Amino acid sequence: MEPRIGVYVCHCGSNIAGTVDVEEVVRFAQNLDGVVIARGYKFMCSSPGQGLIQNDIKELGLNRVVVAACSPTMHEPTFRRACQEAGVNPYLFEMANIREHCSWVTEDGKRATEKAKALISAAVRRVYYHQPLETRKVTINPNTLVVGGGIAGIQAALKIADSGHRVYLVEKSPSIGGHMAQLDKTFPTLDCSACILTPKMTLVDSHPCIELITYSEVEEVSGYIGNFKVKIRKKARYVDEALCNGCGLCQIKCPWRADSEFDVGLGKRKAIYTLFPQAVPNVPVIDSEHCVYFLKGTCRVCEKVCELKAIDFEQQDETIELEVGSIILATGFSLFDPASIYQYGYGRLENVITSLEFERMVDSSGPTGGSIILKDGLHPKSIGIIHCVGSRDKKYHEYCSRVCCMASMKFAHLVKEHLPEVEVYEFYTDIRSFGKGYEEFYNRVLDEVTIFIRGLPAEITDIAETPEEKDKLIVQFEDTLAGLQRRLPLDMVILSCALEPQPDAEAIARLLNISQSGDGFFMEKHPKLDPVATMTDGVFIAGCCQGPKDIPDTVAQAGAAAAEVLAMISKGSVEIESATAIISEKICTGCQYCKLVCPYGAISFEEENEVCRVNEVLCKGCGLCVAVCPSDAISLSHFTNEQIVAQMEGMLI
Amino acid sequence: MSFVEEVAATHGGENICACIQCGICTGSCPTAGEMEYPPRKIIALIRAGMRGEVLSSSSMWHCLSCYMCTLRCPRDVRPAELAHALKSLASRYNYRIKGTRAPAIYHSFVSSMINNGRVHELGMILRYYLTTNPLVALKIFPVGLKLLLRRRMPLRPHKTSGRRSLARMVKKFREIRGSH
Repeated sequence: MEPRIGVYVCHCGSNIAGTVDVEEVVRFAQNLDGVVIARGYKFMCSSPGQGLIQNDIKELGLNRVVVAACSPTMHEPTFRRACQEAGVNPYLFEMANIREHCSWVTEDGKRATEKAKALISAAVRRVYYHQPLETRKVTINPNTLVVGGGIAGIQAALKIADSGHRVYLVEKSPSIGGHMAQLDKTFPTLDCSACILTPKMTLVDSHPCIELITYSEVEEVSGYIGNFKVKIRKKARYVDEALCNGCGLCQIKCPWRADSEFDVGLGKRKAIYTLFPQAVPNVPVIDSEHCVYFLKGTCRVCEKVCELKAIDFEQQDETIELEVGSIILATGFSLFDPASIYQYGYGRLENVITSLEFERMVDSSGPTGGSIILKDGLHPKSIGIIHCVGSRDKKYHEYCSRVCCMASMKFAHLVKEHLPEVEVYEFYTDIRSFGKGYEEFYNRVLDEVTIFIRGLPAEITDIAETPEEKDKLIVQFEDTLAGLQRRLPLDMVILSCALEPQPDAEAIARLLNISQSGDGFFMEKHPKLDPVATMTDGVFIAGCCQGPKDIPDTVAQAGAAAAEVLAMISKGSVEIESATAIISEKICTGCQYCKLVCPYGAISFEEENEVCRVNEVLCKGCGLCVAVCPSDAISLSHFTNEQIVAQMEGMLI
Repeated sequence: MSFVEEVAATHGGENICACIQCGICTGSCPTAGEMEYPPRKIIALIRAGMRGEVLSSSSMWHCLSCYMCTLRCPRDVRPAELAHALKSLASRYNYRIKGTRAPAIYHSFVSSMINNGRVHELGMILRYYLTTNPLVALKIFPVGLKLLLRRRMPLRPHKTSGRRSLARMVKKFREIRGSH
């Protein structure tokens, strides 16, 4: 069938037409080989724009379509669908990106127009050789993997499990709960964090559709949307989860102590421990780095006192293999270490503490029983809270961490609640109280006589210049609104530290083949219209692993991720890329290089014929095998040599 | 061109628009107490377009170039270099600076260095006092005399070789920096 090509050049409002001379490009396209019609239109992706193409297909008998507009990641599916509806195979369509590649990258209209012509000419030559391909469907495995057991992971797991589908919730530490479990109260309503979180944790534990896999990490992910294979390493707990009833006797009797991770070093825990009293699952774990049996070979007190014989020193790490259809990443954040800001003296000056340390201190079940005390055990008389520590700073993190303003104001309120006579100073640069009820909370804290000082402190020192400063922490700053350089002697300083990506975020991103934005957080597919999807189909993100956010936003995002997964499960199947590799049995020499490089395990070797074969369901059309084949036996449908050479020739007009 | 754009176009003032007025520069500045307009405020005044007030003020001439502000600034504004830029602009447009003799010593130092290839202390200090207050010179006359007698301060300048190359370098430098 002789190709009859239609070319459609989008103005994209003024996004393209502001720089590229669309009229000229249309005239140029009209004269290309095989082109029956070329048109320009304000918004090709709009309904009338698509109608224009469909109408031409019917009226003019077009059998190939080229749209010159934005990136194919944006609208290729839209136009493929439009073609299919009008009876043209979706693979007989090609897109030329004249927005991101032309108009958005230069202000030089002439050169942008020339490049647009080259890209359109390339697309027209390429589409000439396109072959119709069948769209393939794969079924969706209804099981879901949720990585991370903080509030985001818990919420997403519960939402999906409530629909009756199976969820595997994998958590790195011995208990779920995440950072939210470490908080005392939550702004702006001052609900007790544990009171609203622990019921959800218990629900996860008892839910028939949730399989909780704690103290475990995802090690390997293969497969594709709807059909992922996941390997999980379950670290040895040295306590049999099936036997232990969580009586806690082992923890009472264990003679060895270590710093508590949960209390961020403010308290101690035993060598056999649960993270915190309400831990889920309520099964302790032996820390082999501090257990004397592991260090010196003697002790085993826990084993002696355990009536249920649940202690198992011989336990080994085990690997669990799962098959799931979709994955939700909810791996959270880690707190910025302020020791790198030398002038604030964290780690050097006593009574300079982080926000998380204060959360633990003020928590009634924390290491001090909720008492706000200095290192010497006395109550402070004055407290300073510094905002933006590690945030909004080009040297550390350029972004605003979004929760620190509100958390700092919550601290001020909690201090006034525990010790009404204490003076509290908030050192801020800008107050960001943007959420529902947040500005009202700001007003409330102002009314409680918290002194707000606009100025980022220059340094904290213990070198006194006057008798009043003796034995105090002196904060030196400019009070920018009063226009004064001041020194303020205080007893305690809380640093409201930035939220930053987890240290292993890059490893996880690589494991799942998703991207990170410049700040290191996981990148969403579209910041506005696809905020929980990623560039890897079937992998979703929720909570602080995508960027700093407060609890309400995290919970909302977790719900959105669950909805995406449930929509996929209800649909039951999904269309996947038709472009796959084909090995010519006549040419293949059976060297198996292709099998070696295939990242999807899609190539197998046939012993009897001594040739390699592609499993089309597993093949993602990445083209690695095509490049590596020494005898040129592999071709990739939709990316044939013929098509690519034609495209290059078109580019060189 | 607005004043803020003029400063941003001057070497050292490039990042002025990034300032969020947090005040860590003034808080860190050891001479802020001497300044009429400490660093954060001078940036605010530049943005307010107060060209005359800023360029005739003595504030930036008090900067010791300790760079503490630049080290700590979260927005990479580099206030110490901004002070250099403002001094450069003030000199270019011959602003009379009240309350400090710092500009006079800068000019004496630079002219002595350009003429001789290195600083000639006697010439530099004479020029400085002649352009400011010659009577004050009497106060340090005894010290100068002792230095002269013990041959610690030469009467005539030691001129270095390659002064023509130096002159070319200075000329180029002034072109780049856009100052006199």
